[in-house]
Amino acid sequence: MNVVPIGPIHPILKEPIRLKLIVEGEQVLGSEVEMGYVHRGIERIIEGKHHLKGIHLVERVCGICSYIHTYTFAECIENYSKIEIPDKAKYLRVITCELERIHSHLIASAVYNFSIEHETLGMWGLNAREHVMDLLEMITGNRVNMGYNLVGGVRADINKEMIDKIHNKLNELRDDLKNIVAAFETGPLIGLRGKGIGVIKYKGIMKTRAVGPIARAAALPESDWRLRHPVYKTFKFKPVWFENGDCHDRMEVRHHEVLGSIDLIEQALEAYNECAGDVRVKADIKGGEGEWRNEAHRGEVTYKVATTNNGIIKRILVRTPTVMNIEAMKIMFRTCPTISDAVTTYTSIDPCVSCTERTIILKDSKTGKTSNYSFNLI
Amino acid sequence: MIKEFFRKRSLNLCIINTGGCNGCDIEIVSTLAPKFDIEQYGIYVHNNPREADILVITGPVTLPWKDKLVEIYNKVPEPKIVIAVGACALSGGIFKEGNVYAPVDKFVHVDAKLPGCPPRPSEIIDAILKIVPDAIALREKAIKNEEKEISSENLN
Repeated sequence: MNVVPIGPIHPILKEPIRLKLIVEGEQVLGSEVEMGYVHRGIERIIEGKHHLKGIHLVERVCGICSYIHTYTFAECIENYSKIEIPDKAKYLRVITCELERIHSHLIASAVYNFSIEHETLGMWGLNAREHVMDLLEMITGNRVNMGYNLVGGVRADINKEMIDKIHNKLNELRDDLKNIVAAFETGPLIGLRGKGIGVIKYKGIMKTRAVGPIARAAALPESDWRLRHPVYKTFKFKPVWFENGDCHDRMEVRHHEVLGSIDLIEQALEAYNECAGDVRVKADIKGGEGEWRNEAHRGEVTYKVATTNNGIIKRILVRTPTVMNIEAMKIMFRTCPTISDAVTTYTSIDPCVSCTERTIILKDSKTGKTSNYSFNLI
Repeated sequence: MIKEFFRKRSLNLCIINTGGCNGCDIEIVSTLAPKFDIEQYGIYVHNNPREADILVITGPVTLPWKDKLVEIYNKVPEPKIVIAVGACALSGGIFKEGNVYAPVDKFVHVDAKLPGCPPRPSEIIDAILKIVPDAIALREKAIKNEEKEISSENLN
């Protein structure tokens, strides 16, 4: 038995994480994951700050899915302090969130295609993604960390020219995507590298609580939290699911979800056209605490927030999907015949390391006992 | 002579995320896209420190990176150029109060600094193209002078 270390700096990894693969020949027998390279103590920084400062920090929990974090944070506070936001803001939030989902899924697909050494499809994915980044820049004013959301609405409105441009770009994107999906489904080499590799089924999902595209690729469509969201309930929307639970199916789920997101944006634009008024209300935050869940691009994200009457954050707790998905990866490694398949399995769960690392452990200096920093401690 | 000529034009790039939020890395990856196309300038994003010419460091330095950053910097062959990208790498940015040891230039020698949260891909390409050819030429000269001095000392 040998140990093959991958990372923290490695040609396929964009984020620092260390995987230790235990191998015999090329067969992967087991794995160890070493983390902690991106631990900045972000929950601790947010404590004691005003919510207007907090929302900028929450945005930088992760750079790829920055919008969904502010979305969940704002909705959590709005929910327990009973702030009714304008209809226009509701639909603008849906549009921005779905655009970000498209860009996140497309970069995941591009990285996967680079890792199976199919450079053409990777470049097509990156090219299609630039359309979406242009739209995000037009709506919010920035490409990645947008600063668009607020408790009580959004910062800016869109006008009629922008709506026309969104329609045009989405039509272009849909054509590009159909091309990519057709190439991905019928490519013989892509199937060989993906089908039957990194399998996780219902039993494994229940054991590790994996969420998002991983659960949906193993025939669990009800894991999509958009089904339970009050704004998404008003749209026509069906979760995508496949049943084999391998690398190929996980990427298929992402590709079909992008097509679904384009439909959702068009429905949201239709609903937006019928609304009038402002995009933002004054937020009167009441003291209290609450919990809110949303479907992030990698799965379910949970926020627990406690605030005072003036909007100072007492305690915040974030739970992101990659925590569970990295556990599920250990089961997937059992069906990896070679080391390069282990690497593609790692990229197929689309891990986001900077989302994941926030654990705080308290140590009593007198007794030396350690305990978790739980939400109810304050 | 030929090596010097081509070294200024074909460069290997290595990204080191020392604990940032991923935003800068995503913008560096999107420079690969056909819209920006970093490879037409002869720059290859390979993420391998042992054959890199340029190190792009993003993020405030977290606790495990304190020693490892210097370790990786020493593994890169001379001449090497370091570019610090993003507000976190320059000053700690939004994470300054947290468990970080920013800025990067406390630990390694930094040749270029690129502010922004995150900077745009076109700015990243611009910075690399502006700083790197001259910086590599200067560094190579310095190494040659050192070698000459050492050899002359040995003769004496």
